[in-house]
Amino acid sequence: MIKGVNTRELILGVLLEVNEEGKPSHLVLKNVLTKYQFLPKQDRAFITRVCEGTLEYRIQIDYIIDFFSKVKVEKMKPVIREILRSGVYQLGYMDSVPDSAVCNEAVKLAQKKGFYNLKPFVNGVLRTIARELDSVTYPSREEDPIGYLSVEYSMPPVLAERWVKEYGELTTEKMLVDFLQEKPVTIRCRDYLTSKKISREETVESLKNQGIKIMPAPYLDYAYYISGFDHIYTLDAFREGRIQVQDVSSMLVAEAANPQKGDYVIDLCASPGGKSFHVADKMEGYGMVDARDVTPFKADLILENMQRLKTINVKASVKDATILDAESECTADIVLADVPCSGYGVIGKKPDIKYHMTPQKQKELVILQRTILDRAAQYVKSKGVLIYSTCTIAKEENQENVKWFQENYPFQLESLAPYLPEELKGEIAEEGYLQLLPGVHKTDGFFLARFRRK
Amino acid sequence: MALRKIREAGDPVLEKKCRPVEEMTPRIRELIGDMLDTMYEAMGVGLAAPQVGILKRIVVIDIGEGPLVMINPQIVKTEGEQTGDEGCLSIPGMAGQVTRPNYVKAVYLTEEMEEAEIEGTELLARAICHECDHLDGIMYTQHVEGELHRVEYEEEEE
Repeated sequence: MIKGVNTRELILGVLLEVNEEGKPSHLVLKNVLTKYQFLPKQDRAFITRVCEGTLEYRIQIDYIIDFFSKVKVEKMKPVIREILRSGVYQLGYMDSVPDSAVCNEAVKLAQKKGFYNLKPFVNGVLRTIARELDSVTYPSREEDPIGYLSVEYSMPPVLAERWVKEYGELTTEKMLVDFLQEKPVTIRCRDYLTSKKISREETVESLKNQGIKIMPAPYLDYAYYISGFDHIYTLDAFREGRIQVQDVSSMLVAEAANPQKGDYVIDLCASPGGKSFHVADKMEGYGMVDARDVTPFKADLILENMQRLKTINVKASVKDATILDAESECTADIVLADVPCSGYGVIGKKPDIKYHMTPQKQKELVILQRTILDRAAQYVKSKGVLIYSTCTIAKEENQENVKWFQENYPFQLESLAPYLPEELKGEIAEEGYLQLLPGVHKTDGFFLARFRRK
Repeated sequence: MALRKIREAGDPVLEKKCRPVEEMTPRIRELIGDMLDTMYEAMGVGLAAPQVGILKRIVVIDIGEGPLVMINPQIVKTEGEQTGDEGCLSIPGMAGQVTRPNYVKAVYLTEEMEEAEIEGTELLARAICHECDHLDGIMYTQHVEGELHRVEYEEEEE
C-alpha cells in the first residue's frame, strides 16, 4: 500500500512555492485545488484555510516561533520552516484540529521529506507552542507602535510605518484590521447576454435555488456578495455567463469610463477581462473593446471568460502595453490603463502581496506605469477619455503619477462626480480622482482617475 | 538482498488466492528481505508477496514505526470506520477514497514462525486490511468510492 494524497504535504508544497519561489498564492492554490478537485469538500476547505491563514498571519506566526525556538525562523531549512508555520497556524488559529494531530502530522511530514534528524526539533517546538502559546509577550502599543501593528496584524514593519506616515495611525489600523477580515466573493450581475437584455431577478433566483447566500453589495445595485459554494463552476448562473466575479471597486472603472454605444475602447492590461466585459456590456453589444494583455496565458484567460460570457463586442489579443502600437494611435474613444501595481489594496484577498514588495520593485513599478501611461496617451482620440486605475494605496503609483501625467501630456483631469454613485461622491478628491481605502470604504483599496484629451 | 519487480494491475498474479506458508526456508527469508527493500525503495507503507509475483501469504508493512512482517495473517476483529485516500504500489501514481475499519486486530506468524497478535488503528489498520486483501486477490480498486485520481504534487505550468 502507499499513502494517497496527504493534505499537509499539499499545503507544504503550496507554501514553498509561494514563500520560496515567490509565486502568487492565489494562482498556486487555485492550481492545487483544480488539480485535486476529487478531494472531499472538507479536505479542500482545510487546504485553503491553512494555506491562506499561514500566509496571512506569517509575521505573527514567525514572532511566536522565534519566541520559543532557539533556531530562528530565518535560519531554518525551508521545508522545516513551512512545516512549523502551518503547524502553528493550526495550533493557534484553528479549533478543529487536535494539538496532538498537528504535532504528529508535522513530525511525520518532516521525516517523509528527508529530515529524520530534525523530528525531535519539530516535535519540541510545536509541543511547546501548543502548551505555552498564551505566555507569549507581544510588542506594546505605547512603546513600539510600529512593532505592535506589525505583529498584531501581521504586516511588514516597512509598510505599517509608511502608512502611518501617509494616512495616520488610526486609518492604518482600520486598513490592517480589514485586510485580515474574510472577504466575500463579489459578483456583477449582467443585464446583457449575447446582446439581449436579461433579468437580474432571474439570476438572483437561480443562485438562491442552488442554495447560495446572496446579499446586495455596497455602492452599485448590480453588485452582490455570494457565499456558500464549493466551486464557482458549479453555479448555473456562472456557467451560463449571467455573472462575473469582480470587486465593486473594479466595476467603478466602467462607470467612470461611461462608454457610449459604438465606442472603440482599448483595455491595455485587460486580463482576466472583468473591466473589458463590463464596458462591453454597457455598450449593449455595440462597439468594440480591444482587450490586450502581455502573455498568451493572460490572453487565454480573457478568451476563456469571453466564451462563457458569450460577449460579441470584445476581442482579445496578446500585446505588450509598454510597446507602442502605431496602428492604434489616435483611434480610441476610451483607453483603460489598469496598470500593474503593488496591489496593496487587495492584500486582504492576496495576502502574499505584502511580503513581496521591495523599494527597488516599487521604483520599477512606477517606471512601468509611466511607460504604459505614455503609450496609452498616444491611442486616445482627440477629446477621448483615458481611465487610469490601480488596486493600490501607494501615493507614488497613484496621485504622483496623475500629477506627472497631467504635467507632461495634453490631458485634463476630469472630476469623477458625474459617474459615481451618490455615496462615493463625497470621497472624490478636489482634483477629481478617487482613492478608496480598505476598511474605510467598503471595497478593496483602489485608485481611479479620469482624463480627457485636449 | 535485492529489489524485485513490482507487478502492476492487469497481471493475473494479483488476482489469485495465495497459499499459506508451511515452514520457514532460506528462500522465504530472502523473499521477505527483498520485499522490505522493494517497499522502502518505492516509498510504500506495505507490500504483499503476490505484488512481487509470489503466491504466498506474506506481507510486510512499515507505516513509519519500523518494519512489521506478517506470515499467514488473519484479521480477527475490526471496529469503526475511516474514509480516506489510499494507493497501491501495483497502481503507481494513483489513489482513491476507500472506507476501512478504524481498528483492526490480526493474528499472524513472525519470521521465526512464532504466533503473534497485533492491534492497529488508522493508517496501520488500513495497511493491514489492504495487504491482507492482496493475499486473496483483492485490489483496493474494488472498494474505491468515486474515481481514481493522480497523486503527485506537481507545479503547474503557467
